[in-house]
Amino acid sequence: MSERKRPVVVAAGMGVTALVLAGCASASGADVSRVAAAFENRSVDAQTRCELLAPATLNSVAQSSPCEEEIAHLPLQGGPVRSVQVWGGNAQVKLGGDTVFLTRTDGGWRVTAALCQPRGEAPYDCQVDAP
Amino acid sequence: MKEVNYGFLRGNALSLAFGACFLATLAGQAFAGVADFNAQQVTDGLERVSLLDYVTSSSFAADVMENCQSEYLQFFLYVFATVWLVQKGSSESKEPGAEGVESEKEQRIGRHATEDSPRWARVGGWRTAVFSRSLGLVMGAFFLLTWAASAVSGWASYNGDQLAQRQDPVAFVGYLGEADFWNRSLQNWQSEMLAVGSMAVFSVYLRQRGSPESKLVGAGHADTGETG
Repeated sequence: MSERKRPVVVAAGMGVTALVLAGCASASGADVSRVAAAFENRSVDAQTRCELLAPATLNSVAQSSPCEEEIAHLPLQGGPVRSVQVWGGNAQVKLGGDTVFLTRTDGGWRVTAALCQPRGEAPYDCQVDAP
Repeated sequence: MKEVNYGFLRGNALSLAFGACFLATLAGQAFAGVADFNAQQVTDGLERVSLLDYVTSSSFAADVMENCQSEYLQFFLYVFATVWLVQKGSSESKEPGAEGVESEKEQRIGRHATEDSPRWARVGGWRTAVFSRSLGLVMGAFFLLTWAASAVSGWASYNGDQLAQRQDPVAFVGYLGEADFWNRSLQNWQSEMLAVGSMAVFSVYLRQRGSPESKLVGAGHADTGETG
């Protein structure tokens, strides 16, 4: 390769890499939003919403009765997605009526915590959470 | 001394050996790191990750870069400090009285260059000025690049941990003010400064026969810079 062409190729490579990473980030953001919105949507059937819970959180919700029964009593309000943060295998979605935390599993994104209230610099206080 | 005809392997044994050690220890760090990471994942009620996922994660990148940046900082400071500062009796130091960049004749540059001097040592001007400082400049550049990489990967790793612990992620500027960033940087820097300082002092009184990092075994403690 000639000396003149090399910087152009390097710059193009960096640009392509940036575009790919941006595309990947936006694809994860869309997946995360979809899962969080579906979990919060009371019109979606209870079994489907329970399947969107991460295993440890599912076990916590279904401690005293089946998840499908418990989830019907949760005051999940949903709402429009206001912000999405995806960092590595963890994510946070802020909807109109709730803040939801998610994690990436082999089966896709799953909800680890919901009905979360901020407490300043302390961790969110989440009604739905793993033990 | 009679010049020995060395092949590639023998002539580059030092760099090849340390290169191999670097790769071996990096692999070891990957295995130990994924085990440690997955232990924390289980504690946080999250899924374990594969080795491939871990070595492509910001967590692994941050752990590697935070060590790399401190090593380059150490050599950057060491290269420049030894121009101006002396340690009497140390193999790591110039003779007291020789502080500074030294004359062109002593450094064999410009018209004092020899036949085997590098071209940029002979030509003068900005090229000689840059080449005269190239070792420190490259070490400094690598420090800045790896410190920047450490900051970015540390930020991504920190925010992943924040979310796992049900806390809000922070902006990059905010992360630069976080204790996590400065703890990672300073804990590495202190050990590098300690190592260089220790070497400067130990080499006054201790010897390693055959090593160019040591004075001659029979050299006096007050002899400066007389290596083996």
